[in-house]
Order: sequence, then structure tokens, then C-alpha cells
Amino acid sequence: MAKEEKQDLLQLYRFCFLMVADAAKAQEIFHATLREAAQRAADGDAPGNRLWFFRNARWRCLEAGGRALQAEDVDPQEGELAESAPLQIEKLESQQFAVWISAAPEPQRTALALFYLDEFSYCELLSVTELKPPELSKLLAAGRRQFQAWLDATVPST
Amino acid sequence: MTMSNVQLSRRDKLLLHCAPIRNERVDDRALRRALEHARDSEAFAIQQSFDKAAVALVQAIPIPKEITQWVPTETFIALTRRPWKKYAQNPALLATGIAVLVIAIVAVFQLVERLNRFPGEPTARRLLTTAASIHSVMLDPVKTDAGALGDFLFMKHRLVHYDVPPEFADLKTLGCRVFDDEEGRRVAQVWVIEKKMQFFMFPAERDPQTGKAKEFSGWRSIEQEHWAAVVKEQNGVCFMAALRGSSNDLAPYISKPKS
Repeated sequence: MAKEEKQDLLQLYRFCFLMVADAAKAQEIFHATLREAAQRAADGDAPGNRLWFFRNARWRCLEAGGRALQAEDVDPQEGELAESAPLQIEKLESQQFAVWISAAPEPQRTALALFYLDEFSYCELLSVTELKPPELSKLLAAGRRQFQAWLDATVPST
Repeated sequence: MTMSNVQLSRRDKLLLHCAPIRNERVDDRALRRALEHARDSEAFAIQQSFDKAAVALVQAIPIPKEITQWVPTETFIALTRRPWKKYAQNPALLATGIAVLVIAIVAVFQLVERLNRFPGEPTARRLLTTAASIHSVMLDPVKTDAGALGDFLFMKHRLVHYDVPPEFADLKTLGCRVFDDEEGRRVAQVWVIEKKMQFFMFPAERDPQTGKAKEFSGWRSIEQEHWAAVVKEQNGVCFMAALRGSSNDLAPYISKPKS
């Protein structure tokens, strides 16, 4: 297996984790996705590209439904992005970010998880999320502002 | 977020919200243009710092040992198919390709037809119809070498330059007549023994402004209703040899120029 391909698969796990914020569930979905890919490959119908893995895993995450952890409720008012935001983010644990993303409604959850994987081009993002450009733009912009509000509430900048 | 320090269009702002952190992920021309416009935007710089920090957080998600050990060595992703095959299967491109091909074929036909056109072609075609309908009994019997007809036509009918070219000069004639066509031009018609061939000599088409004969070089072929003919212009007079058959039947006569 090519190194890049292996890297893609590790990113697939991270995607699952961001979607469900639960390592065991993420692992289960990851394995199920790879099993299906292996089955298809054995049947001579191997997935045509890496996007298939993320689409498949996405639907499994949505099916998985219930979330073990919930992000803390914050004032729904959205704030402007702060210059100090990177410092606030640095203080977070990955798990906290995953909890926040997994708490977002669909399709914003998928859009944010895929976008922050930093794995896809703009066109690929539109393809996997099945969103139109204005919808994706609106969801990401709102997601940033909501995350900033959540940061301000949970990790106040000093 | 506003991007107030740099004037950005609504479309640019919309695209910039989706701007990937890494440049190599930018695969859209409009997005690339929006990124150029936002080069000096402070708000966009803040967004990028925000996104970079979030991406770093995601990349820090630990991968369980079971995953790193388990990731299989077989490849599950099919090799990329050949792009031409993909394009060829696209119905829109397929339809466009067929349309372009048809247009190209029609254009080639028209070009070939245009290259083969020559001044006096309509008259030649009209005379070819005459050739198909006339019988030898309607001609005055003249039994001689075709090459000698030039003098005969000049002496008897005062037709200047109504000469049979050397390629057909050796053929024996059966009969001949001179008549006026629909436009009042003098036409000489000769019946030849060989292959029941017919010769026509008629004035070349003239420029209506200058009155000068429109010249063309070499032999030109026409075919019409199972009849074929070759035409040549010389000294303002066109000579046409016609027979029932195809251009191939006339080709041997004109392939070797005779002096």
C-alpha cells in the first residue's frame, strides 16, 4: 500500500472520531468501512477513489446516531473571529474539539469535520458533503463564529 | 466575520469561507481569484490563523494502536481509470464529438466540391444532359481525325479556336453539328467512334465587367446521372469530352499529356 493511501486511511479514522467523538465508535466505523472496501475489492469492484471511504464512513457515522458526549451549551450568539483564537485553540484537547464538532447539526457536522481534516480540495469538499457552494460557505462561516463563541465561553482569552 | 479593510465582492467572501489552508488544495479558478483579492485582507488572515490552529488540533487526534497496526497492506482503492475513457463515456462530450465529426466531414465535402468547381461548369452540366439525350442520326456525318475538326469548324462555321486537344486528337469522328445554346452561344458537338464518346466545344464563361474569358488550368471532371466528362479551357474556348460511365473511363486519356 502506498504511503499516501495509508495516510488517507489514518485521516479516515480522524474523520470518524470528529463525527462521533468516541474512539471506540470511531474505530468500529473505520473497520466497517474498510471491511466493505475489502469486500468490494474482492468482488472486483474496488472503490474508485478515496472519497468513497469518507462518504461511506459519513453515512455510518450518521447511522451511529446517539452521542456519548455533548458539548457544553453556550450562548447561541455568534461572535467575530478573534485574533487571539489560535491561542485559545492551542489550550484545547483534540477530544474537546471533536465533541464540539460532533454536537453540530448535519450537514454542518460533516462539513466542519471534512474541512478541518485539511485533506480535501474545495471541489472534493462539495462532492463529499453533497452541498452547493453557498451552503458549504454558510455552514463553515457560521461554524467558525459558533466555535469562537464556544471558545470565548469555555477558554476565555487572558 | 467581515473583511472590511479590503473591498471584496460577495462572491469572493462566499468562496473565501471555504478556502483550504493549503494552496495545493485550491482546485477552483474562482476560489484562486478570490484568494488573490484577499491577499491583504486582515480578516481573511485571521480566518486562516483560526483554521490552521483548528487543523493542528485535528492532526493531534491520537490514532489508536489497533488502527496503526491493523491498517491493511492491500490496496482497496482502484487504479485511476484512463481519462480518455472517462471523457469518451460522457454523453455530452460524445454528442459534441459526433457533431464536430459530422461538421468536419461536410466541410471536407464542400471544400472538395469547391476545389473542383470551374468557370463554365453550369454550361458543361447542361451539355452533359444534351449528350445523354441526343442520337447520332441528328448529327452531320463527318468521318475524320478529331484533331482535324478545328480547321473544319473554322472553315465551315467560322468558329475560332474550337480545337480538339492533343489528348483526344487521334480519335475517329462519326458526325458533328453546331448549334446555339439557350444563351445564344455557339456550341460544336462531335460524335466519336471510341466508346461512343462525345465532344463539346463552347465559349468559356466571361467576366461580365471586362468581357474577358475566365481561365482555368488543367482538366476538370464532372459526373452526372451515369455520365462523366472532362473539361479543359484553352484560348477562351472550353473543350469537353463526355461518355456514359465514370471519370475513371476518361482518366487514361488525360493522364498522359500529348504534344
